[in-house]
Amino acid sequence: MIVAVLAIGVFLVLEVLPALLGGVFDPARIRLELTPMAWGTLKAALWAMLFAIPLALGAAIHSALFMSQRLRSRMKPTLEMMEALPGVVIGFVAGLVLAPWVERHLAGSLALLLVLPLGVLLAAAIWRRLPAVWRRHFSLSRAGLWLVPWLMLLVFATFSLAPGLEALLFDGSLRNWLDRELGLDYATRNAMIVGLAMGFAVMPSVYALAEDALSGVPSRLGEGAQALGATRWQTLWRVVLPAAAPGIFAAMMIGTGRAVGETMIVLMASGNTALMSLSPFEGMRTMAAGIAVELPEAVPGSEAYLLLILAALLLFLFTFLVNTLAEVVRSRLRRRYRWLDGAP
Amino acid sequence: MKVARTKRRPIRSEGPWAWLAAGSVALSLLMLGGLLLLIATRGLGHFWPAMVAQVEMADGRLLAGRAVRELPLEQSAGRERLYFTANRDLDGQAWHWLPVNDIVASETPQDLIVLERRRHGEFIGRLVALGDAESVREQQAREATWERLQARLATLQELRGERERLRREVLRPLIRRLDADPSDAQARQALAEANDRVRVLQEAMRGEVALLENVDGRRLVQPLEEVLRAWRPNAMSTVEKLGIWGRGVWRFLAEGPRDGNAAGGVWPAIFGTVLMVLLMSLLVTPFGVLAAIYLNEVAHQGRLTHLVRIAVRNLAGVPSIVYGVFGLGVFVYGIGGSLDEWFFNDALPSPTFGTGGLLWASLTLALLTLPVVIVATEEGLARIPVQQREGALALGATRLETLTRVVLPMAVPAMLTGVILAIARAAGEVAPLLLVGVAKLAPQVPVDGEFPFLHLERKFMHLGYHIYDTAFHGNDVQAAMPLVYATALLLVLVVLVLNLTAIFLRHYFRARHGVQPRP
Repeated sequence: MIVAVLAIGVFLVLEVLPALLGGVFDPARIRLELTPMAWGTLKAALWAMLFAIPLALGAAIHSALFMSQRLRSRMKPTLEMMEALPGVVIGFVAGLVLAPWVERHLAGSLALLLVLPLGVLLAAAIWRRLPAVWRRHFSLSRAGLWLVPWLMLLVFATFSLAPGLEALLFDGSLRNWLDRELGLDYATRNAMIVGLAMGFAVMPSVYALAEDALSGVPSRLGEGAQALGATRWQTLWRVVLPAAAPGIFAAMMIGTGRAVGETMIVLMASGNTALMSLSPFEGMRTMAAGIAVELPEAVPGSEAYLLLILAALLLFLFTFLVNTLAEVVRSRLRRRYRWLDGAP
Repeated sequence: MKVARTKRRPIRSEGPWAWLAAGSVALSLLMLGGLLLLIATRGLGHFWPAMVAQVEMADGRLLAGRAVRELPLEQSAGRERLYFTANRDLDGQAWHWLPVNDIVASETPQDLIVLERRRHGEFIGRLVALGDAESVREQQAREATWERLQARLATLQELRGERERLRREVLRPLIRRLDADPSDAQARQALAEANDRVRVLQEAMRGEVALLENVDGRRLVQPLEEVLRAWRPNAMSTVEKLGIWGRGVWRFLAEGPRDGNAAGGVWPAIFGTVLMVLLMSLLVTPFGVLAAIYLNEVAHQGRLTHLVRIAVRNLAGVPSIVYGVFGLGVFVYGIGGSLDEWFFNDALPSPTFGTGGLLWASLTLALLTLPVVIVATEEGLARIPVQQREGALALGATRLETLTRVVLPMAVPAMLTGVILAIARAAGEVAPLLLVGVAKLAPQVPVDGEFPFLHLERKFMHLGYHIYDTAFHGNDVQAAMPLVYATALLLVLVVLVLNLTAIFLRHYFRARHGVQPRP
């Protein structure tokens, strides 16, 4: 097994090292070719994680602390299925269906970012006014389910109201307004779409790891806090979360590793333009996508080939470091839980 | 297990964050459901023979086509509707955007027909007459003409099948025999005869034409040979449509692609995917299971095994494209290149194994899925109670006997789970295949009657790559979209069914043993 891991690393290093040492590479060319790709990779991962982390952590917290055992044992396989969805399919839907659609409904889509959280809070406020019977029926522990139709309603309402608002606030087209007022260029396939799609793909694995960390916290800690009168949320924030923080950190690291290496989604949803900007509305080119597109055509041994292998080596090193770090953190954490739980 | 919380508690406010957490669960479920629903409806809807509308515009234009979607107009108020009007050879384009306000009348006449053709895509219009290319003329009885067309198409279908069979079973083996031994007079004779028979079949198919007319009266002479199917969507009952739908689904699964992958079926891609995955599981199962057994049962549980476990997890986190690079560099250029030099020297410089192919793709994916199998098997082994092993040992079994008679049979579902998960992962993985041997269109499937029957060096088609390629490199992406949806649905179904099986197996396994993993 170690052999297999080493084999990949050794192969990549062996291919690249002689060239690096022998001065085949022109440093300027490395900078020219690799910097935009590295930039794009990090940018894509950043936007994906911006989308995936809140969603995954929220879901993990909810299912570890509020859901009933029964519901949780249904929830986990469902999200596992989400993880299993092939990247090509997500990439296809994101690149060819979602991207043009968001372009047409830009205002509504952006408004969703605001409407959905507020809508959930509104639901909470309404819930507190409900009679007790209803409240028990629509309990918080089942909120993950009964909020789904509510969110659907919100999405529908947002998109039917958005054109009017757009006309009122942005002279009819948010896209033109962005271009005119803020100088932001909107590309159909952009970092926002990539972030959304890749966040969707990465979210289940972050969720699974974070949920493991949260539900692994010895229950006597939480029970103690609740016995002292803390609400479940206070328990979580003051007791469970600090205990599980390293595990959650590890989950984020592994998620980042995934996002950095994901190829098909980026390839299909990003436009593959080597731009260096942080704007969510412009495309990018990532290392993984660059390798997938160019390597089959590169002549073995040529400079372009070696550059791409170098990119692969960087990817490998990055994910290797991130994963090792996460794995070490996780095994430390497991030992800590055992200690907290009173085991020798 | 400790019993966690009491059931009844006074309801207190949990604060906004708890609700937002619940909201994120709901949002992920919504997105997952939305995605699956989108793919399912679009993918299955493609095969439904939709009504064809005949639209009259304010400026007097007449058009016939299927309404696809509607959007608000960019500049002015109002909406416009996209019609798929087919007839690429008459109009030069198959799509029309029509402002909804300018549509005067829209009806669905019963006699509109849809033809599926080998070239230029579909035809939508009316059937005027059938006959020879020179002497085709107007006929009175439309209904009779329609029935004759259907009968004629059925005959053509049979002839086509016959020709295909001849080519496959007679011509190709003969050509191969001649290639091996050019002086074989008997084979030459047989080949000439077979060629004659094919020519006779071609003759029988040629000659007849259909005189077609589109809705605004322009006529077209269509050789029947190029027509695959004809139907009248507006005159069909729901049951008939269901029949057409079922046959459409079947053809999609069983036929090869046409028109630069934009039409037809995905059979070669299904075949390639399945074959590649089978090969991969043959390669990965022994290695993965053995590694897991060694790690969990044989090796001393110390620092080194701990390191190895971390390494395995690490391997699972390495991006798939890096595996692809490794496969390309080591398998294709390295091993494949050497194999070519040693065994296929006369074929050089055109590579045999030195280019991407079935074998290299399976090997690369086997490497990629190795951690999945190891982790799942190890988990299963760790769940087997220590008492079982100790009991066996106490009864006088050797360690090997304990392993093979007690531990392994109990761990079989876990191994199966691992292999199924590996298959699911491999079936959906495309990025490494871009580098090690997938093809846009592979004319020959990697299995045929020619020795050695399984051609490991050939390129193959893959469902996932088919999606990528058709959606991004096709000529008319708009027209190919429904097909991409259908392919995506198929891929998702395969992967989800595999995963569900794995989840079910794991659940069954846990329920049967009811034990906790070793701490």
